Amino acid sequence: MSAHQQGTELDLSWISKIQVNKPAVLRRAEQIQARRPVKKEWQAAWLLKAVTCIDLTTLSGDDTASNIQRLCYKAKYPIREDLLKALNMHDKGITTAAVCVYPARVCDAVRALKAAGCDIPVASVATGFPAAQTHLKTRLEEIRLAVEDGATEIDVVINRTLVLTGQWKGSDFIKTSTGKETVNATFPVAIVMLRAIRDFFWKTGNKVGFKPAGGIRSAKDSLVWLSLIKEELGDEWMKPELFRIGASTLLADIERQIYHHVTGRYAAYHDLPMS
Amino acid sequence: MAATRTASRACEIFTTLEYGPAPESHACALAWLDTQDRHLGHYVNGQWLKPEHRSSVPCQDPITGENLASCLQAQSEDVAAAVEAARASLENWSTQPGAIRAQHLTRLAKVIQKHQRLLWTLESLVTGRAVREVRDRDVPLAQQLLQYHAVQAHTQEEALAGWEPMGVGSLDSSVLNYLLPPGCTVVVLVPPASPTPLLLAQLAGELGPFPGILNVISGPASLGPVLAAQPGVQKVAFCGAIEEGRALRRTLAGWVPELGLALGAESLLLLTEVADVDSAVEGIVDAAWSDRSPGGLRLLIQEAVWDETMRRLQERMGRLRCGHGLDGAVDMGARGAAARDLAQRYVSEAQSQGAQVFQAGSEPSDSPFFPPTLVSDLPPASPCTQAEVPWPLVVASPFRTAKEALAVANGTPRGGSASVWSERLGQALELAYGLQVGTVWINAHGLRDPAVPMGGCKESGSSWHGGQDVSNHLPAWGEGGFWAGAALTHPHPSSSCSPAPPYGLFVGGRFQAPGARSSRPIRDSQGSLQGYVAEGGAKDIRGAVEAAHQAAPGWMSQSPAARAALLWALAAALQRREPNLVSRLERHGVELKVAKAEVELSVKRLRAWGARVQAQGCALQVAELRGPVLRLREPLGVLAIVCPDEWPLLAFVSLLAPALAHGNTVVLVPSGACPIPALEVCQPVDMLTMPLCLSPHQGSQFVEWASAGNLKPVWVNRGCPRAWDQEAEGAGPELGRRAARTKALWLPMGD
Repeated sequence: MSAHQQGTELDLSWISKIQVNKPAVLRRAEQIQARRPVKKEWQAAWLLKAVTCIDLTTLSGDDTASNIQRLCYKAKYPIREDLLKALNMHDKGITTAAVCVYPARVCDAVRALKAAGCDIPVASVATGFPAAQTHLKTRLEEIRLAVEDGATEIDVVINRTLVLTGQWKGSDFIKTSTGKETVNATFPVAIVMLRAIRDFFWKTGNKVGFKPAGGIRSAKDSLVWLSLIKEELGDEWMKPELFRIGASTLLADIERQIYHHVTGRYAAYHDLPMS
Repeated sequence: MAATRTASRACEIFTTLEYGPAPESHACALAWLDTQDRHLGHYVNGQWLKPEHRSSVPCQDPITGENLASCLQAQSEDVAAAVEAARASLENWSTQPGAIRAQHLTRLAKVIQKHQRLLWTLESLVTGRAVREVRDRDVPLAQQLLQYHAVQAHTQEEALAGWEPMGVGSLDSSVLNYLLPPGCTVVVLVPPASPTPLLLAQLAGELGPFPGILNVISGPASLGPVLAAQPGVQKVAFCGAIEEGRALRRTLAGWVPELGLALGAESLLLLTEVADVDSAVEGIVDAAWSDRSPGGLRLLIQEAVWDETMRRLQERMGRLRCGHGLDGAVDMGARGAAARDLAQRYVSEAQSQGAQVFQAGSEPSDSPFFPPTLVSDLPPASPCTQAEVPWPLVVASPFRTAKEALAVANGTPRGGSASVWSERLGQALELAYGLQVGTVWINAHGLRDPAVPMGGCKESGSSWHGGQDVSNHLPAWGEGGFWAGAALTHPHPSSSCSPAPPYGLFVGGRFQAPGARSSRPIRDSQGSLQGYVAEGGAKDIRGAVEAAHQAAPGWMSQSPAARAALLWALAAALQRREPNLVSRLERHGVELKVAKAEVELSVKRLRAWGARVQAQGCALQVAELRGPVLRLREPLGVLAIVCPDEWPLLAFVSLLAPALAHGNTVVLVPSGACPIPALEVCQPVDMLTMPLCLSPHQGSQFVEWASAGNLKPVWVNRGCPRAWDQEAEGAGPELGRRAARTKALWLPMGD
């Protein structure tokens, strides 16, 4: 994650002045998906970049130490070693950007990662995830506990009551959604958010990060997300410090695509290690 | 070995995160060219026509310069052969029931769908345009147009009987679509080295039973008049440069075929301070830098958001990608040396006139590409501001208020399309209604749909096609049209005094004396003096046009009900004067019964148009667009109408009523031989202006020739009397169509 920002005086007129034309944004969202195809070696390289931006996530009620451990191991070795070797990328330290778990599972994740001998950060959703309709006090306590357990990144669900009544707060990294909504990361919403990030950067020089989460399942989607970042914000945002993809099944599809790129065949799911 | 290379590149790309090539294979296009031995002729009557002893031009890849094929250049014999084929197949095609034609066209649409990859790769290969636009827009649109008009073929049965084959000056696939369904057959003259229309013709020809309905010949533009002059050609549609259109208009003045012009390619984008600027920047990209439009863009930006817009625009330009058209990840291809040189000339000239030029990246001078270019600070009075903006340029200028924006936007002879970007509904609509263009998109640019008519006004030409205007075979109107009966007589100068009361000129609601202070006698059929009418001159016409222009805003803004009320009042007045009018007509040699019928019919006409005022525009629902498209019918402005001599009263009323009903003001010259009934009518009206006895020295030909100057649309009778007493010719939809112009107003919806 990027270093904590100095911040700037909250000027709500920035928000009130913004105009967003929904049909035009929808058209742009449609265009972006068809205008920047990435093929062959470029595709393989871009997919590996996507891997390094993934917050490998499990947020299930039935998470236990064992599946957290599996997840962590997958985060360390996201792509089969021989495939990386074929691409000459085996020594580039390709791992996912982080693993993302519920606060109560942070301990398990930290332990598993330590056992695997790597320093992938552990991110935790905290603050009454996913609705955030709990008291501020317990929300803050939740964060404190997660950090005590070793989480280094916290995905805070903002209090949407405040937002909808116009009481905004600043942030270092913004996320499309919790991934638990009926509609999660969509391109039109992302376009609006990315443009806001760019405006903020132009006004203050601060780079805010961006994380789409929920519903990103295919390798092709991840390529579109990368090209969307590249088009709207530029190359400097295409790194895990400023861009994350919150996903759980995406990695499997990316691995399959890379398998296909290297071998010319499609892998069955049992050909690749599960997470 | 290959694996190592792959690997090392992946590693490098992982760091740079650059885009790679995404080439579309054009093997199928080359294979098709091979079926013709890389030697293309013309496609006539379902067969390839490759006459000997013709010169040929190479068809080259505009980027690599590689020779793809050689294309024969047509000569006049080839044109004659093509028109003959079209004529021969007309009989069969036009007599088919609409259902059969619809079926055939649907099959053609299916064939396009089947061969779409071939079509888009071939088109992109030879034109250099980005394949993405051809693939995602042009080809589907061609197919949708055919399907839409196939359906229309059913409904148009009775309205469009009896049309004859038509020559088409240049290809826009949509032109085909509005000609074929009503039973016309078509000859298309395409510029040299354009294989795609030939392919389309081949696909249509191979469909079977009607091979000769679409014939494509390729040849130089100089063949246009040759094609138009062929006997049997009834309509010529021309898409191209404004000057070429003007020349064609002059050449074809007074000839049989109707000429429809769709000229120029410049578009306009109006960005207000309450707009989603980022989305508007995407609109600019769509309009100028995505290979969608053939022309450049004039950009008007409200001062308050000027800096912000320029910054975003320049940033966005840096991310545009120029490259080989067949690369799927490319925004702009190359358009060949001519287009590049034109752009370069404009840029150099603009610079010399003090403009700022911003280009994202630079291309070496021998490169086939021309980078996206933004021109600003061009002095308003410089010649470049007046000239048409070429591809791929955007010329930006600021404005202060919406009113000023309209003045600047309308202060050009061109009137093709425009978009308005504003989140304030009232403002957006006001601007959209005020723009003198054929199509306005609100918060979008360049949307197309077969159900929505496309066309322009002013010098962008008056040819409309698509949607309901499909039946608009004859060109519609631009501002300040001119309707003329050709059978104009020379005046009989006379200055003798008379016992009968003289009629003056009726201008601005009052009778007044003519500038020349002279009158001329009107004699009845026995030769005895019926009265004197004022002899109008050029000066009177000037005064009349001025008065009409003054009255125009007021009349235009009247509600339909008010307009209807005036027409009905006129009808009532006419009825009151019936005995007087009948006797006038009788004295002119009209039988009593016929005279009575003429007056009655005139009353009826006025009432009918009064009733029709109410239903003019409509809203269309378009696929893939949430929100309506309004098809507006706007008044043309001031119409000049010269009435023919036949049916002196009825023709006058039949021309006057639709013009007024649609909100135009008119300068009207009544029948030269029998003007008095018309003068009787106009007494209760304060809206129209009428000088008398104008004496142009030529008829239709002169009017058409003169219209080339500013390309005002004209409608002439070419000396053929119209059956004014028949419903179809005297009060048919054609009159209404010609009395107003269409504007398509796109209103995408969403919060």
